Amino acid sequence: MPRRWPLLLVGLMTGVLLGLWGLAANAVERVNVLMPAPFAEATADLVAAFNRDHPGIELSVTRGPLETEAVSDLAISSLLLGSSPYDLLLMDVTWTPKYAAAGWLEPLEGWLGEDALADLAPGAELGNAFAGHLWRFPLVADMGLLYWRTDLMQAPPRTPAELEAISRRLQAAGQVPWGYVWEGKQYEGLSCVYVEMLRGFGGRWLEQEQPELNSAAAVQATAWLRHLVEAGITPPTVANMAEPEALQAFQAGDAAFMRNWPYAWAELNKPGSPLRGKVGITTMVSETGEPHAATQGSWGLALLAGSRHKAAAVEALRYLTSVEAQKQLNLRWGYTPTRLSLFNDPELLAANPVLAELKLALSDAVLRPLTPIYAQLSDLLYRELNSVITGGIQPEPAMEQLQGNSERLLITAGGQR
Amino acid sequence: MARLALLIWSLGPMVWQLYTSLRPTEALTGGLGGGLGGPGGWTFAHYQQLLHGNPPFQIYLLNSALVGASSTALTLALAVPCAYALSRLGRNASRSLSLLVAAAAAFPAVLLFLALLELARNWHLANNLLALSLPYAGLCLPLAILLLQASFRDIPMELEEAAVMEGMGLWQRLRWVLLPLMTPAMASAALLIFIFCWNEYPIALTWLSRSDLLTLAPAMARIAGSSVYTIPYGAFAAATVLGSAPLILLMLLFQRQIISGLTQGAIKG
Amino acid sequence: MRWKLWLLMAPALLWLLAIFAAPMLHYAWLSTQAETVLTGLQPRPVGAEQWLRLWNDARFWQDTWQTLRFSAVSVLLEMVLGLAMALLLHQPLRGRGALRTISLLPWALPTTVMALGWRWIFNDPYGPINQLLQGLGLSGVPFLSDPAITWLAAVWADTWKTTPFVALLLLAGLQNIPADLYEAAALEGAGAWQSLRRITLPLLTPYLLIALLFRLAQALGVFDLIQVLTGGGPAGSTESLALYAYLNAMRFLDFGYSATVMLGSFAVLLVVAALAGLAFQWSRTTQAEELR
Repeated sequence: MPRRWPLLLVGLMTGVLLGLWGLAANAVERVNVLMPAPFAEATADLVAAFNRDHPGIELSVTRGPLETEAVSDLAISSLLLGSSPYDLLLMDVTWTPKYAAAGWLEPLEGWLGEDALADLAPGAELGNAFAGHLWRFPLVADMGLLYWRTDLMQAPPRTPAELEAISRRLQAAGQVPWGYVWEGKQYEGLSCVYVEMLRGFGGRWLEQEQPELNSAAAVQATAWLRHLVEAGITPPTVANMAEPEALQAFQAGDAAFMRNWPYAWAELNKPGSPLRGKVGITTMVSETGEPHAATQGSWGLALLAGSRHKAAAVEALRYLTSVEAQKQLNLRWGYTPTRLSLFNDPELLAANPVLAELKLALSDAVLRPLTPIYAQLSDLLYRELNSVITGGIQPEPAMEQLQGNSERLLITAGGQR
Repeated sequence: MARLALLIWSLGPMVWQLYTSLRPTEALTGGLGGGLGGPGGWTFAHYQQLLHGNPPFQIYLLNSALVGASSTALTLALAVPCAYALSRLGRNASRSLSLLVAAAAAFPAVLLFLALLELARNWHLANNLLALSLPYAGLCLPLAILLLQASFRDIPMELEEAAVMEGMGLWQRLRWVLLPLMTPAMASAALLIFIFCWNEYPIALTWLSRSDLLTLAPAMARIAGSSVYTIPYGAFAAATVLGSAPLILLMLLFQRQIISGLTQGAIKG
Repeated sequence: MRWKLWLLMAPALLWLLAIFAAPMLHYAWLSTQAETVLTGLQPRPVGAEQWLRLWNDARFWQDTWQTLRFSAVSVLLEMVLGLAMALLLHQPLRGRGALRTISLLPWALPTTVMALGWRWIFNDPYGPINQLLQGLGLSGVPFLSDPAITWLAAVWADTWKTTPFVALLLLAGLQNIPADLYEAAALEGAGAWQSLRRITLPLLTPYLLIALLFRLAQALGVFDLIQVLTGGGPAGSTESLALYAYLNAMRFLDFGYSATVMLGSFAVLLVVAALAGLAFQWSRTTQAEELR
């Protein structure tokens, strides 16, 4: 008896596999999209509507993990092995170069036309093309914003010095315990904060694919973040703050300014919020003559090179990123659209008056470096910055060290010296 | 007293999982009143959800069983001759070889995953449950060899010498004289190997990506990662119960062999 | 005759070489190469740069410290609790067989299965531990969201799972100690504590050493538990060396560096195992001198 049961199992397994195979072999074209869990939820109605309109295609969504990186891990684990069950992938803006360089994506310009991005809002077109091809079509836009208290000041600060001055005045008057909260934890959010300040001081992260993190502007930007903590404008707990913690502090009235993404707007203005109607948004402060930068973070759909239903998948991609679909996503779920016409749509503007300001901020969007090794560059950056913020190392030696480590990373990753 | 503490320590977490898996979701997050034995009643909904999922949960158990069975067979086929030869080898050679094998037994398998990943990529072994037996057999061999050679040593040399007198060759002696005596030891080893393969995670994680081919361990991890959004802990708990049940059964059925296998290995290994 | 024995061993030994030795040699070569998406996942020689990068990599050293901390505390706990459990299971009590089986159950369960279970048990505020604390009027413990605490939660889960294994190894040793030694000691008027110190521990030494080395090697390679329980978080405070090596390959697609990290963690393992072995030898000789 014990000798027979492996055989039995083999038989059972074959049966199950044959059954699955039989299911897959009928005429309908199956298109599978991998999305993070919240997007899978938000697009469920759209997917159902698509399937009603397209009897020949069956679009299904694989509900991925909530955490951004975990979604990518799931996709990569199947792509590395050469057989992916997905046709479309909803990607964060920072993944595009990595996936494109790995050869996992299908260029989209052949399917959507060279002018596919023409009717996007300025700023939303960034981060979709890399190395001369279009790899991704943006579904929702996201950008870093400076939130300010309209009940405490006439106008928001436009330079770092103004932000400091207003904070000191409000703190001295006892109106807020702290001036400015932002994301200072050792994670990607800190890199987003830093990109805005770096631009605001006139610096660059990479110039012609080489790091410039020991430039005077880069050191100034770092020193300013540390200075905020030393001067008592930002609480020392910023070193452990991600978006939820910053929002919590700001919403509790603990700070006059906050750096966060558009989602915080709805949270701050929902019924019962103590700050309802008392918050304004604008772009990040910068030195005179330098741009007010908003780090762009967007999600977009990409077509996988290994897909066996490319035409049907492109059909689904067009549908999910269409004007009507984006309108629904905004009305029901509050996602910022990427199509220009929607920012002027009276119905949307009535529901979301803040869209006008978001459009302005989007036009100031800056990208984090477009490089396949972005994730590791960013890991080096936010580690070093976090230890500067906690006072573990001085800004100047920190940036020298960071520059050296970034250069070495480029060499060992096969980029040129 | 001490025995009770041991029982609670060992069984407590499992009992809590069983309890959670039978409670409706609302009862789990209903605060203290609803948490422990409060209102809400009992439900099998979490189990039904798992068994009718896509793919259904039992697929993972079948996959694990298949990989475990084929890996055990392959491991024993390689380990038995090796263990026999090792037990008949001169003292010095046997000692140093055994030491190397013991070192391999302690080696953390996760450090091998990158090389094995490249193997799977280059030789197209990914997403193939039977191919997974190749690395698994390698990982289980050290333990199997140590266990089996200890038992081979226990068999008196006179028995084999008598067989030689009767004109039996090496192969015949192994098949007709030694192996029948080895059955208990081989059963212990087979059970331990099976448990190891059933539980193995890093290699399965890198070799399998199709969700209908996942073994239990990576499937659990995928379930864990797939929904931090809400808190479906009832479903999680049901998954841990279903995932542990076969092994608990195995342990209860074969406790003697498993425990003697482990202790034998310790005494003589 | 002898060559026949070697022939019988050959398949298994070759298999072992292929699975254990070949990867290490492959890593040694790969650690001198750049192999990322920038090189089209093809190797390109970079000399010793990967090793310099490892030396300067704050994340590698942070993970080394975290892995050592986790291993030291959990293995120490496992040895102490394992010894206690073994002594308990060795006593001639009713239901001993059943108790042995039950206490071994945690070891047999897949790590990922119970790691998922522990996530719920450690849940703040709905897990049983926090429910209990709140019921006693205490505040809940953020087991999985506070960098200062989460690694201890991982230690806890690991100890739960592997203590039975240590206990069983030590139980085997206890069964090998002749009972008349204890009787003789009792006649000389030695108490329970003294006979533990003067008979049990010295005679158990080889088993303790095996259990210690085996557990240390496994703990230094901790991966399954961390990946499912915490994913390395919060803020990377529980990331282990093995997880970092894994992420370098599977998330960053940086195979050359992943191999370097792998060899780096192997080196850490060798150093720790050697130190543990030496410390053990030393304590054994001093103990022997004391007894003399």
